[in-house]
Amino acid sequence: MHTPSSPARMLARRSFFRVAGAGAAVSALVLAGCGKDDPEPPVPGTPTLSLGNFVATATSDPNITVLNYAYLLEQIEAAFYDKVVTTPPADLLPGELAYLTDMRDHELIHREYLKYALGTSAYDNTLATPLVFDFSTFTLTTRTGVWTAARQLEEIGVAAYNGAAKYLTSADHLNALGKIVSVEARHAALAREVLQPGSFADNVGTTGLDDAKTPAQVVALIQPFVPIAISTANLPTT
Amino acid sequence: MYLLKLLAELATTDTTQLEQSAPRRAALESLGRFSAKTLAAALPLGLAALPAQAGTTTILDSLGLALQLERLQEAFYTQALAAPAGFFPADATIRTSIVTMQRQQQQHITLLTDAIINSGGPVPARPNYDFTGSRNSTQPAFFASVFSNFDDFLRLAQLLEDTGVRAYKGQVESLISNDFILQTALQIHSTEARHAARIRIIRQKRGAVVKPWPSPTDASITVAGKTDIVYSGENALEQSVPSYRPVPFRLLPIGFPGTNILTQGVPEAFDEPLNTAQAGTILGLFTY
Repeated sequence: MHTPSSPARMLARRSFFRVAGAGAAVSALVLAGCGKDDPEPPVPGTPTLSLGNFVATATSDPNITVLNYAYLLEQIEAAFYDKVVTTPPADLLPGELAYLTDMRDHELIHREYLKYALGTSAYDNTLATPLVFDFSTFTLTTRTGVWTAARQLEEIGVAAYNGAAKYLTSADHLNALGKIVSVEARHAALAREVLQPGSFADNVGTTGLDDAKTPAQVVALIQPFVPIAISTANLPTT
Repeated sequence: MYLLKLLAELATTDTTQLEQSAPRRAALESLGRFSAKTLAAALPLGLAALPAQAGTTTILDSLGLALQLERLQEAFYTQALAAPAGFFPADATIRTSIVTMQRQQQQHITLLTDAIINSGGPVPARPNYDFTGSRNSTQPAFFASVFSNFDDFLRLAQLLEDTGVRAYKGQVESLISNDFILQTALQIHSTEARHAARIRIIRQKRGAVVKPWPSPTDASITVAGKTDIVYSGENALEQSVPSYRPVPFRLLPIGFPGTNILTQGVPEAFDEPLNTAQAGTILGLFTY
């Protein structure tokens, strides 16, 4: 059977947004978007990056949480391709740098689109310096390493959008994410094809459904790239 | 009459399939509440009496449209795979990929049929297909060699897969009230995008000017007045955020100026939706 959430799981959505706020965070990372709420007091100790509204109130907006989540994912992808295009591996085949450059451009555009949509609610709005992402787990000196990394990041992106879109309550935001996720799926298919012709849909399960991951699953996958701990307290848990 | 037809369809439904779908039925049982059309259908003549209104697409309408699109694609690949030896090129990964797409479309048909039945909706009748565009030789064909010229086959495959991506995208808004259906549709949607990218990559390797994603740099493969609707609006230079605020890409740190990121990157970065009527028009080109 396929993997979408059960009705029981769907019920968890409301409770998730009510418990939002449990995460610890340095005050600088407290999200805007809860501007009308009192910021969470900073908790001494490990800095934590939290996506979404810290304080769930009647005015809390799940759309902001999901858009911030998408924004972080697009930041990571854009930073990755920017690094690759700036210092490409020597053994790229003809046409591959052009593809990687296109993908860099798409992710930059996605990133800035989401940042613009979030406005003052962007989670890093008050950061003095942008986050610097860590791609040291990848091998970026060979074309195989680069495309393997691209495949991994694109698959995370597709599964993340597919798994999180249902938390949106705004049709406008849902339509916007729909416009982006299919481009990510095209990227994922390209990365797969470069590595192994015919593998474009190997992520698709036996019922014909592409992957969908919960935010908690995705956060575990992207944590190695992010320099500070990501709190999952404000993210859907099922 | 409508109810009788529905009952007849239910009577012929495989009951084991229904039982296997019990959890899904639970998820779907509330569909009627979202669907004025379904409620009307429960009354004699109710469906016929419903005026056609813009913006009232129900979940069942969306599932029905998706089912017809999947059937169209599946029938297309089934016919291609039955073509005489030599139709497919020597690169074995190409035929394998078409087999994969056909299989996944069959899986989508099963899912969608199941969802419609479990929500109490009528499964739309399966039409006849003519992929030459001649509508069973009643009008001039515009894809006459679709099953004899492999590049023509790929062109129509690309048109149909990109249509599928755009059509699902156009329906997600009407699914927003049901998390289960919405996520399932999105999971199908990205699968369709993988198919489209694969077809485009095959074409690119065979010398066509095309990218894995729709681009203003793609060489046009549409027939004016027939298939041009497949890419209508796809190369949009503008995007907006809610409240219809246009995004000022020119002012954002995306690499402008100095590149063609505004005229090429922005259209490539967003796939656009097709609405129900547009998707229906494309379906109509190849069905009778």
